[in-house]
Amino acid sequence: MNQAQLAAGSRVIIWLRRLRVMTQKEILQLSRDKVLLFLVLYAFSADIYNAGSGVTLQLKRAATAVHDLDHSFASRELMGRFQPPHFSIIGEVANEAAGLQLLDRGTAMAVIAFPPQFQRDLLRGRTVTVQMQVDATNSVLGFLASSYASEIVGEYSLEAGMKRAGLSPGAQLQAPVVLNDYRVWFNPNQRDDWFMSISELLNVITAFAILLPAAALVREKERGTIEQLLVSPLTAFQVLFPKIISMTAVILAATAISVFGILQPLFEVPLRGSLMLFFAVTMLYVFCIAGLGLFIGTVTRNLSQASMLAILTLAPMMFLSGVWTPPEAMPALVRYAMYISPLHYYVDASYAILLKGAGINVIGHSLVGIVLLGGLLFGLGLWRFRSQFA
Amino acid sequence: MNLRRTVAVAHKEVREIIRDRLFFSLAFIVPAVLMVLFGYGLSLDVEKLPLAIIDRDGTSMSREYAHRFIDSRYFDFKGYSFSERDLEQPITDNLIRAAIVIPEHFQKDLLQGRPAHIQTFIDGTFPFRALTAKGYAIAINAQITADSLASYLAQTSGMSVAEAAAVFQPVKLEVRYLFNQSLKSIWSLAPKLIMVILMISPPFLTALGVVREKETGSIYNIYASTLSRGEYLVGKSVPYIVISTLNVLFLWWMATGLFGAPFKGSFVFFLLSSVLYVTCTTGIGVVVSVLVRTQVAAMIGTAIFTMVPAVLYSGVLIPISSLSRSAKLVAYLLPGMYYTNIVMGTFLKGVGFSALWRDVLVLLIYAMLLFSIGYAFFRKRPNS
Repeated sequence: MNQAQLAAGSRVIIWLRRLRVMTQKEILQLSRDKVLLFLVLYAFSADIYNAGSGVTLQLKRAATAVHDLDHSFASRELMGRFQPPHFSIIGEVANEAAGLQLLDRGTAMAVIAFPPQFQRDLLRGRTVTVQMQVDATNSVLGFLASSYASEIVGEYSLEAGMKRAGLSPGAQLQAPVVLNDYRVWFNPNQRDDWFMSISELLNVITAFAILLPAAALVREKERGTIEQLLVSPLTAFQVLFPKIISMTAVILAATAISVFGILQPLFEVPLRGSLMLFFAVTMLYVFCIAGLGLFIGTVTRNLSQASMLAILTLAPMMFLSGVWTPPEAMPALVRYAMYISPLHYYVDASYAILLKGAGINVIGHSLVGIVLLGGLLFGLGLWRFRSQFA
Repeated sequence: MNLRRTVAVAHKEVREIIRDRLFFSLAFIVPAVLMVLFGYGLSLDVEKLPLAIIDRDGTSMSREYAHRFIDSRYFDFKGYSFSERDLEQPITDNLIRAAIVIPEHFQKDLLQGRPAHIQTFIDGTFPFRALTAKGYAIAINAQITADSLASYLAQTSGMSVAEAAAVFQPVKLEVRYLFNQSLKSIWSLAPKLIMVILMISPPFLTALGVVREKETGSIYNIYASTLSRGEYLVGKSVPYIVISTLNVLFLWWMATGLFGAPFKGSFVFFLLSSVLYVTCTTGIGVVVSVLVRTQVAAMIGTAIFTMVPAVLYSGVLIPISSLSRSAKLVAYLLPGMYYTNIVMGTFLKGVGFSALWRDVLVLLIYAMLLFSIGYAFFRKRPNS
């Protein structure tokens, strides 16, 4: 080995050693803030558990009142079909005003009204109308209530019609009806806890990946310790990169805790795909999004500014990640804003790996999205940092 | 409590806020931007669901069946070209979220008076979306079944199609949506957005207030001064409550002007209870600030304890009634739920103090409790 090679070799060794020392410093700093560590643990365990176990977006035992002006066998029979799990009858009201009052107070979610002579008209072959008033303060549940009610009434109506047409209801199989067989893939029982716990995990990862680096950088600026680092022989990259390495390590460890401690044992999330792939994608994502945190850190002078800027980016990312509103339902402008959010790609990739069992070939384009956007953000953060201090 | 000293603290705080130009402008920009983004982007209406149809029958009736879905605004038809074997691929890839398979003999079965079978596949990754999509599909399918029965009966019995249709639909359900008659989600969303944005933004404004002085050491000026704890905390929070109240007005204007949400209640009542609400959320920031030692912990703590619950437990995306017991507890512990009743009441229902006094009372107690906690834990003589 000649002189030049030796020199180059030792330069690499020194470079790596500096990186290691700085990484150790960052990890030490993180581990000394006990409140912070508690927050990490809380967010990745109790918070995710609460989100997963706490939410059901299904219509469960919607309180339904009846306003029955007929009191006939037919009206009671139809009413009897409004059963749990979707509905539960809470009783009868004497008049319309009483029904409205129940809706006003939120005691009832729906009131169903039968007209007088419901049974007689039905038997005489007239079309009768049943009215349903739904509290649609919450649009999703309002829709589901009316949708299930239509299904129940439709079925009853069809049976009554068949009877009248001389076909016995059991003879449905002999009539030209269209039977639709529904199969829901990947989450056959529509378990909300699978969906919610994964969504919450991804949100928590995002929050920490942006906030931790931004805070770490701004704190050094505020305290002036950044000047010490800059007069040392470290390059800008060597100052920034260890921050990201250490925080990625902390976030990945916490993610492992919540996947193996919460998602798998408590919610039985199927974890169909390769966990290696999931953690690799997560690492890549955290790296990238940390670039955004660093960028925030460079444009702000104190933590108050940084935290306002952080929620300006974080809150839209969380609300508009595509989990709640699918991209196809957003107006074009907001949709484009969503396409530049790395979380959108990470959400797609994570659900695909964990629930759908997708491999790297399927999530390819999400991966490209994460890498491109992340690379851009990271480069931007580094460039801002350099131009500010070097 | 000495008013002059309190005003002096508030005055100093205002100076500090206004001199920090970026922070000062962000205090107003953040709520407005969030309102625009959420107002336009957040919608729980399931519409334009990407759908593929595999028509293996290829007859006029199967095409008519397909067209009922294609023409519906709830579905966005992506083509016939998918093959049944690898339907899983485009669904995994999010290219489509539902697929309908029409088997061979579809037309033949129906014409001969036999039931025809259809298969529908729905992506269940996001359960509430899958449920809604299933609801749409069931409704469309029921309509087609009724039509098919009617035309069959018309053929066999000699009735007209309209008469036959009446036979098969003797009972109709007429649904009226109350409080939000068009089921336009922006109407119910806009008032709730005011609640959620004012749950996120004020705590972040104040959370760093006290702890920053602790970290920089300027708090020793306070320790050494004649200021009492109460004067300091109140003086410190008032400017932020004023900023948030201005934001309330601005957000109210956006909700009614920009998004066209109806406002049926009393504006004075709305404004007063809103001031109470932002006092509560500002108080959360104050408490965090008093309890933690470092700014980083304050910032992240506020994010975890306000932003995350704001997404999940505030009733914006998920109705409170759909929460389990433990999650409901979180919802009851946050001021957002009570304020939701107030905004929904004043915006959509047009009810006032007589119907909402309980919520106002809870907010009042809440605010007093928060400031008492802040008062109890803020020591002018720190232990260490």
